[in-house]
Amino acid sequence: MALIPEYRDDVPRVERFNWLARFSHWGHTVTFLLCLFTGLVLFLDGVNWLAAIFGGYRGAGLVHRVSAVGMTLVIGIGMVFGFKGIIEWIKDLLRFGMNDIKFIMIFPLEFLGFPVKVPPQTRFNGGEKGNSIVTPTCVFLLVLSGYIMWFPAIFPVGLVRVSYWTHDIAMVGATCMVCMHAYLGSFHPGSGESFWGMWKGTVRADWAQHHHAIWYKETYGDKSEAE
Amino acid sequence: MANLANLYDVSKCTACRGCQVACKDWNQLPAVIEPFKGNYQTHDDTNGDTFTIIKFFESEDPVDGVKWDFFKRQCMHCWDAECMKVCPRQAYSKTSWGATLHDPDKCIGCQYCAAACPFEIPKYRKREDVITKCTMCADRVEEGLKPACARTCPSGALTFGDRDELVQVAEARAKFLRANGFPRATIYGKIELGGLNNLYVLTDTPDKFGLPVDPKVSGNVTFWQDWIQPYFGWLIPLMLTASATSFVTSRLLASKNGGHGEHGEGGHE
Ligand code: HEM
Ligand code: HEM
Ligand code: SF4
Repeated sequence: MALIPEYRDDVPRVERFNWLARFSHWGHTVTFLLCLFTGLVLFLDGVNWLAAIFGGYRGAGLVHRVSAVGMTLVIGIGMVFGFKGIIEWIKDLLRFGMNDIKFIMIFPLEFLGFPVKVPPQTRFNGGEKGNSIVTPTCVFLLVLSGYIMWFPAIFPVGLVRVSYWTHDIAMVGATCMVCMHAYLGSFHPGSGESFWGMWKGTVRADWAQHHHAIWYKETYGDKSEAE
Repeated sequence: MANLANLYDVSKCTACRGCQVACKDWNQLPAVIEPFKGNYQTHDDTNGDTFTIIKFFESEDPVDGVKWDFFKRQCMHCWDAECMKVCPRQAYSKTSWGATLHDPDKCIGCQYCAAACPFEIPKYRKREDVITKCTMCADRVEEGLKPACARTCPSGALTFGDRDELVQVAEARAKFLRANGFPRATIYGKIELGGLNNLYVLTDTPDKFGLPVDPKVSGNVTFWQDWIQPYFGWLIPLMLTASATSFVTSRLLASKNGGHGEHGEGGHE
């Protein structure tokens, strides 16, 4: 089996993410991963080989700060210009219901590859809803505590001390989510097709119907009936 | 080697600030000029180019009039130095006789030590992006000399020598002061934080000199260093393993089911 599903343009496709969403997703992915590996240099104490990739410990510190600013900008741009999309995203998260709870309960089986029957999902399934809450919360905490650690002189020392463990806990939280998320959004058979939604903007219509039945019906229902 | 310490006797200090100048001179620190703040204290606090300062505590008494208390502030050279524990670059070390040294060549300017220190002593030197602090003049002491401040002090407020002996000198002096008009006189540094290599004779309780009465390493710092850093990170390889497991099992199950569950199928029919 191929690593990720083949991109098929000979089958009907539907739009999943617009240009701005894709730009900010990959923008914050690259800057997040740079922050992660340059941060781990200090978190893991004494991984000289990892530091060497960034030109030593001082170099890693510089890359950490440059990517931190980059990530802040990318997220800022995405939130300002994609404000409508963010609101729609939040609205979808608020539709958390029984179908999502059922999804999360059978998800471990689906994750391992057992054929299971999943209740119809909205635009984001139960797991994605969880990811959409946990990961951005951790990233928000990372940004907040990160700037406090960067400029400790202008903050009360008590707040700086809290930021140290907050930065680390949020780092572990976000990274754990990303370990699963990046795999599910690429190599996982079944959900791998979603990669094309984030990369090229469209996913196969039959895949969308299968994985996000409620969203598909609400967004493309009439059109697909007309075809 | 036995512990060597610096003893500062508040009751003998005249605030001539010879120690401040001697420190600047020996350590080749440029002058830092701060605006006048209505007080004779030279600087707000120690800074990247000032390892020690004499603090002025001014009070007014209706009978005695204006009164000053002086206090020499610098690194305490804790036995169990927290700066050393939090430093991710191992820039700190202890000498065999107790001084806490900081190596600016290893420092990356993260400033963790500055926030972790219960006395907030390590200071950031912006122009070089490193931390600096008092060295107890380790370079002098190792050549058999006294630290520059103790060498200079004209009033006998600073004494450098064997710590055990100085503890006894300090205790005797505090006892004398208590009997002679300073009923709250006390010593500081003998037991605080498990022992400091900087000892004090104080004419009043420590809080009157801006010292924490019972100094402690912040619980936030201990939590970060002793719990989060060593253990919490293991969750990441755990999650990676879960994804790797799924990578294998989902592919095995898909081929067992004769292609069902492959990418194109959507995983679950
Ligand atoms: C706006 C975003 C961020 C800012 C301003 C920021 C800032 C900082 C600063 C100033 C430090 C201190 C170390 C140094 O001086 O190099 C640090 C450490 C660290 N950062 Fe960030 N950071 C940000 C985002 C992130 C992200 C996204 C991650 C990882 C996912 C991360 C992971 C770490 C880690 C692991 C450490 C080491 C902590 C330790 O020594 O225990 N940071 N960060
Ligand atoms: C490096 C590998 C990554 C890959 C392959 C990847 C892939 C994807 C894909 C395909 C989607 C769309 C899912 C859908 O169709 O609904 C998505 C959504 C999302 N991604 Fe990523 N991503 C990666 C890294 C990251 C990182 C580092 C973050 C944040 C720190 C992140 C945060 C999100 C969020 C919040 C969503 C929307 C919620 C969701 O669908 O779970 N991603 N990602
Ligand atoms: S007084 Fe502060 S800077 Fe000095 S050794 Fe102790 S913890 Fe470190």
